[in-house]
Amino acid sequence: MKKTIKPYIMLLPAMTILLGIFVAGLSMAFLQSLGYFPTIGLQEFTLNYYKEVLTDHGFLTSLRFSLWIAFVSSSVSVVLGVLLAYSIVKSKHKKGLEEIVYKLPVIVPHVVATLLVYNILGQSGIIARMAYALGFISQQSEFPALLFDKNGFGIILAYVWKGTPFIAMVVYTVLSNMNNRLSEVALNLGATNKQVFWHVLIPLTMPSIFSSFIIIFAFSFGAYEVPFLIGPTAPRALPVQAYAEYMNADLRHRPYTMTINMVLTFISFLCIWIYHKTFKLLNKYNG
Amino acid sequence: MIKEKKTIMRKIILFLLIAGLILNLVGCTQEAVVAGENEDLLETNWESILEEAEGTEVNFYGWGGSQMTNDWLDNFLALRLKEEYNITLNRVPMDIDQVLNKLLGENQMNVTGTADVIWINGENFSTARTNDLLYGPFTHKLPNFNQYIDVESVEVKYDFGFPVEGYEAPYGKAQFVLVYDEARVEQVPKGHEELMELVKNNAGKFTYPAPPDFTGSAFIRNIIYDIVGYEQFITMKADKEVIAKAIQPAMDYLNELKPYLWRNGETYPSTIAQLHNMYADHEVFMTMNYNSNEAAARIQTGEFPRTTNTFVFENGTIGNTHFLAIPDNAPNKAGALAVIDFILSVEAQASKYNPDNWGDLPVLDNARLSDSERAIFDEIQIGKGALPQHILLDHRVPEMPANFVPIIEEIWMENIL
Repeated sequence: MKKTIKPYIMLLPAMTILLGIFVAGLSMAFLQSLGYFPTIGLQEFTLNYYKEVLTDHGFLTSLRFSLWIAFVSSSVSVVLGVLLAYSIVKSKHKKGLEEIVYKLPVIVPHVVATLLVYNILGQSGIIARMAYALGFISQQSEFPALLFDKNGFGIILAYVWKGTPFIAMVVYTVLSNMNNRLSEVALNLGATNKQVFWHVLIPLTMPSIFSSFIIIFAFSFGAYEVPFLIGPTAPRALPVQAYAEYMNADLRHRPYTMTINMVLTFISFLCIWIYHKTFKLLNKYNG
Repeated sequence: MIKEKKTIMRKIILFLLIAGLILNLVGCTQEAVVAGENEDLLETNWESILEEAEGTEVNFYGWGGSQMTNDWLDNFLALRLKEEYNITLNRVPMDIDQVLNKLLGENQMNVTGTADVIWINGENFSTARTNDLLYGPFTHKLPNFNQYIDVESVEVKYDFGFPVEGYEAPYGKAQFVLVYDEARVEQVPKGHEELMELVKNNAGKFTYPAPPDFTGSAFIRNIIYDIVGYEQFITMKADKEVIAKAIQPAMDYLNELKPYLWRNGETYPSTIAQLHNMYADHEVFMTMNYNSNEAAARIQTGEFPRTTNTFVFENGTIGNTHFLAIPDNAPNKAGALAVIDFILSVEAQASKYNPDNWGDLPVLDNARLSDSERAIFDEIQIGKGALPQHILLDHRVPEMPANFVPIIEEIWMENIL
């Protein structure tokens, strides 16, 4: 009896903080999204906020916009990341430098990545200045508007710049630790490099590719700073929308904020669940 | 044996902790002096208040996020108070929200606090007043207030729409200004109509930050004032439909302006920092500011072109006032009164107005100054790109009630985006 309880008791201090903050915050948010916020006199439970938010045109465009950004940026990152990892593994010469350089963007914060994208691709950015100096454009507005655009091009680019090395890092580790014999057998039996890549390496790395896809998808779906800084005023990404609602000085808006937050949380939990499932799949492969 | 030692240790530690807690509580109760002796302070004359204030310490609580502001308090105000009244000024940097929470807590326990003077305005003042956290009315006691302040002015009577009633004294002023590049804007617009014309003739060269950005929101309110006037908003009910109807002409105006804005109005800068950046990069030819002296400072640092200047609309731009108040549980109310009175002196306001010290607009009424006093203000070099205060003060309209702001932002989002 004592033995079974002991690990839980040992975990208690850490868990109180982790779960205490997390669960308390989440339940408060949930209660408020149901319209229960006694501090400002809202006492009745109601699903009206959900009904209003989920049928609101602005919310739906924001949701679509956020999903679009997350999906496109994560997919592009995965393709580029896998290619990057594969080419590093394949390159013949010494790998010391490459192994460090490609990881650099992983440690750069998203805000800084946004600043880089802004400085390079903005209408007064480095490329625009070069184009101007070379006479391709005669004024700033002629340079294509890549940032603050309705398709979220700038946001996607910032996420790809951050996501690609992350995927490459995960895939590279898996690839370089993989047993070479399978590839060698395939090559021996007459498979081309391309066939080895598609039929041996990709299936073996698939679970880790997928789980890292989920990680960057969940992040770019829920993160606030990049779309706030280089996103369009409309449509707003969902986290930006939630923040704007939260900043509203009228406290009666709080339930709307929390409803948006609950939707964000729900989708993130869905991602965790898929992530969990893929890990099971991964274990099956290895076992 | 060892185990036993450990438990003894633990018991000792536990005992010490409990003892510490109890002693602490005792300390608290000892501090709980009823603030009765100050009750009739407002009945006595000014000389005896100064006498009581002499040689005391005054704790000044307020926002400490600006080095310039802090330097002015430490290097000018504290020194001069020491010379004049032998008062020691302790500046305590603390955000006003925290100060209010502290006062609320102290109020619940009914103890004397530590803050004597607090820097406050807007929503926080109305919160403090509705919870009876402030001492007063006290402003009628201050000689400088009576001599230099225009008590009938809307800005002294109301703080973001909430009646002041003598519970806070004006400290300084901020005012919204538009910033432009003389090299690229030939004729400064006098009002919204000329602005429309200018923007139509220079498509893509003007924009404003999208609310809830503070400055962008102020720009929209300013356009509303310029089109429908500000008087009606002072007595208007904070009802979305009423406000929407009143500001409809302004929304029509902004919609007409929209296609000529930067990026055809499809997107707006999300922060004022971004707009400043775009202005510095020559993407737009105008920016704006709620601090009328900031553009001058940015010219100094080389961020803005030297041809930068500021202007206001002929019908005025929005300004707000920051205030000083005394908590109801302040330990040294006489000292607080002396300090606030000194801040309202010509000397202190002029020093504060000097951009080398702070650059905060004075609150004194120009009409009540003598010629020599006015000359003191006129002599201050305000730097290239800043407007002299008499132009600002002559073109100044009061802020809307604080609870209108989110409603207007909402209407903007529904109508313009």
